[in-house]
Amino acid sequence: MDINVRKRADVELIQLRGQLRLGEAVDELRKVIEESLGNGDARLVLNLAEVPMIDSSGIGLLVRFLASTKQRGGSLKLVQPSKFAVQTLRLVGVLNLFEIFDNDDAAVASFA
Amino acid sequence: MTPDPRDNGKEGELTSVLDVSMPANSNAIAATADTITETLGQLGVPEEKQLEIQLAVQEALANAVVHGCKNDSSKQVRCRVKRNAACAIVITITDPGPGFSPSYLPDPRSAQQLQEGHGRGVFLIRQLMDEVSFESGGNQITMWKY
Repeated sequence: MDINVRKRADVELIQLRGQLRLGEAVDELRKVIEESLGNGDARLVLNLAEVPMIDSSGIGLLVRFLASTKQRGGSLKLVQPSKFAVQTLRLVGVLNLFEIFDNDDAAVASFA
Repeated sequence: MTPDPRDNGKEGELTSVLDVSMPANSNAIAATADTITETLGQLGVPEEKQLEIQLAVQEALANAVVHGCKNDSSKQVRCRVKRNAACAIVITITDPGPGFSPSYLPDPRSAQQLQEGHGRGVFLIRQLMDEVSFESGGNQITMWKY
């Protein structure tokens, strides 16, 4: 999985490319987000436009870090999840936990 | 009388299309799931159905590696893929672990479970596949997609 992190207006913008699933992908994303939280950054935007599939370990990661960011006064917001990712999040009942945006700009602006 | 299309999809002799074993290592799961997806593509399975099967396989392999084998990479997980003439796909995943009782799993959509970081795998498999059964005390799962 490719992970690209940028900072825009005090928001960490994390761009993912590849399947978010158990193994290296989930491990790498966990490290990136833990580092952000360790640096005091709890306002996170996850761009999922190039993530065709999220498995249950990826979902678990998103749910846990959503709670962690909210505890720190921030949030974890999603941008452009694929149709199948949305279907999967809905199936397990967590879709409505997340704020979802059509593009990075709208997600970043929502933190203002 | 019109036959039940689900029964119809299961009828016919099954042909083996893949039989692979992998070490019980979480980093080996993705490659095995991808190999199965490539095989489904070669069989002409539609892309949407490929994704559903791939995710179910991913979850079943993860359960076998993490719970069945306790991440002991000296153990092996076996994955068999078969099809019939109607292109129904049946996938069987077997691990050497003690098994488990799938009937006692909580609903991950319940208020108590919703914020949990785990416990969604078997639920997802059941939602994504058309028929799912556990054999050998729970250390073998068979999943059908019609």
